[in-house]
Amino acid sequence: MHALLLAAASLAGYIGFACLALAMPRHWIEVSGRKTAPHRRWLRPCGFALLGIAYALCVHRDGASFGSVLGMILLSAAAGAVALTLAWRPRLLSLLTLSPHKDHTRP
Amino acid sequence: MERRFGKSMALLHTWTGVLLGALLFAIFWMGTLSVFDREIDRWMMPDTRLAASAPQSVRPALSLDRAARTAASIVPTDAAQWRFDLPTARMPVLRLSYPDQEGNALVRHIDPANYAPIPDQGTKGGTGFIFPFHYSLHLKWLDLGEWLVGLAAMAMLVLLVSGVIIHKKIFAQFFTFRPKMRLQRSDLDLHNLTGVLGLPFHFVIALSGLIIFIGVYFPQAHVGAYGSGAAAKAAYTAEARGTYKRPTADTPGALASLDAMAARATREWGGGRPFLVRVWHPGDANAYVEMRRSYAHDITMNLDQIYFDAHSGAVLHRFEAAPVMSAQRFISGLHFIQFEHWTLRWLYFLAGLTGCMMIATGLIFWIEARRARHASQGIKGAGIVEGLTTGGVTGIVIATLAFFAANRLLPLEASFAGQARATLEMWAFYLAWIACFFHAWRRSRAAWREQCRLISALALACVMLNVVTTGDHLLRTAASGMWAVAGMDAMLLVLALLSAWAARRLGSAETRSAVAGARRVPVATEPRP
Repeated sequence: MHALLLAAASLAGYIGFACLALAMPRHWIEVSGRKTAPHRRWLRPCGFALLGIAYALCVHRDGASFGSVLGMILLSAAAGAVALTLAWRPRLLSLLTLSPHKDHTRP
Repeated sequence: MERRFGKSMALLHTWTGVLLGALLFAIFWMGTLSVFDREIDRWMMPDTRLAASAPQSVRPALSLDRAARTAASIVPTDAAQWRFDLPTARMPVLRLSYPDQEGNALVRHIDPANYAPIPDQGTKGGTGFIFPFHYSLHLKWLDLGEWLVGLAAMAMLVLLVSGVIIHKKIFAQFFTFRPKMRLQRSDLDLHNLTGVLGLPFHFVIALSGLIIFIGVYFPQAHVGAYGSGAAAKAAYTAEARGTYKRPTADTPGALASLDAMAARATREWGGGRPFLVRVWHPGDANAYVEMRRSYAHDITMNLDQIYFDAHSGAVLHRFEAAPVMSAQRFISGLHFIQFEHWTLRWLYFLAGLTGCMMIATGLIFWIEARRARHASQGIKGAGIVEGLTTGGVTGIVIATLAFFAANRLLPLEASFAGQARATLEMWAFYLAWIACFFHAWRRSRAAWREQCRLISALALACVMLNVVTTGDHLLRTAASGMWAVAGMDAMLLVLALLSAWAARRLGSAETRSAVAGARRVPVATEPRP
């Protein structure tokens, strides 16, 4: 149960930051392959909500003091993981755009 | 106005970073290793690698009275005090420490299964060398080391704040890392990324580091409320930290049951157990016993303590810290991570490594931004800082590995030029470190690759030496639950792989830039397909 909660918190943090990244035009274009600016308006609120959920899961798992410390560092690590994904495997995040990747460099 | 402010912040960031970068890296590196200081102890002290064969609840309860009989056979009769640190999940042995004639603390370990003393391991290990290096640099003269570390922590706060101010695209580049761009760009990306994402951790760590040493950095803090002089200082200490003292009676006395006292303490603390037991004036009629409550399951390092009369077992004094002190102990606890929480421990380790990356990439950016200009103008600046950076970054890693390797190579009875084995290990560290600086200044850019190769070889050698000298290879330690040793070996292997990969990348980058330099003119004029 403890390990499951930790995994859930990590995943929520990761997807949350991925949503926030995709809400930015540069990363949206990179991941979706579409030149248009993001039209998925839900990305930003969803991202912040998921970060909140990740933090809440940490507090639920470990209590207020340990949970807060865990939440803070876990979220930093999740943001780092998103940045590394965008650097090396940006297409992995195309699932979140809810549309297949379209390579805009080809006619 | 705003532009001038930005410029001055950039200047502050640049020069604080260059002047203190290597020192900051050393402190961060040692702090990161200190996260696993007790695990390093197990690796460096093979006789204390007692696998937790049975869970805590099944094992027979530790008898302090039996352990005290062992202590009595080790501690000299005229010692002013001796202390037990009770076994924990991270330290499977009972740790006995006592002062020698000159007042230096000596440490011996006792096997909690049979109460037999474990032979002296002849090493300071992680808790005795790496951890004190982190906060004092082992410079004891005038507390110089602690003041330098304080200066570095202050500088860290300045660097973090000025870094946020001069980072123009902090949100736009929140997730930006472009490893395929040229070095200067990708390096700055990595510096920004580790700096911004690690900001909460780095800020809290630097600030709490300063708050821990409030007594050193603000030695006059108590004067306003307590007045000056030794008596005022003692009153402050007693009220803030709960010290209890009484003089010797100079007549012999006996020690009552420590187990009974520990049971009483556990009752008084509502189930909280002691982690430290100290006997003051052992053998004297006025002897007394100090017990401190464990904080293994709390962030706050509580100061709860109970003092017993050693002869009758009666409670002499009880202390619990006031709220302000508890706040200080909470902040200290965030930094010391003495609690049992493996996820957080690994995350602290990771966050510490990102701190190391932030410092190293900052220094590299400074060098890369100036290398060409300094070379054309004949200024030595970039070369000097590069040597300082290579020696400070890869050099301290090599020195640490030399320390580990010396630990496995020196025989238990080794001594040289009147120096004990533990001192020789430290010599290995310092000599290797100095050599790395000289190598870095001589070889300039090539030193990165060569030192990375050496790291790889040394890390691998440490793992092999551990197998050869103790027979504990990774499969065996992992299978038998010796996680401290298994983890240390695994991390050494990861380090060996990463630095071998880095050396290869550096090598191919050098060949590429050399080839590009030689063929620059033809390449530029070649017709493009």
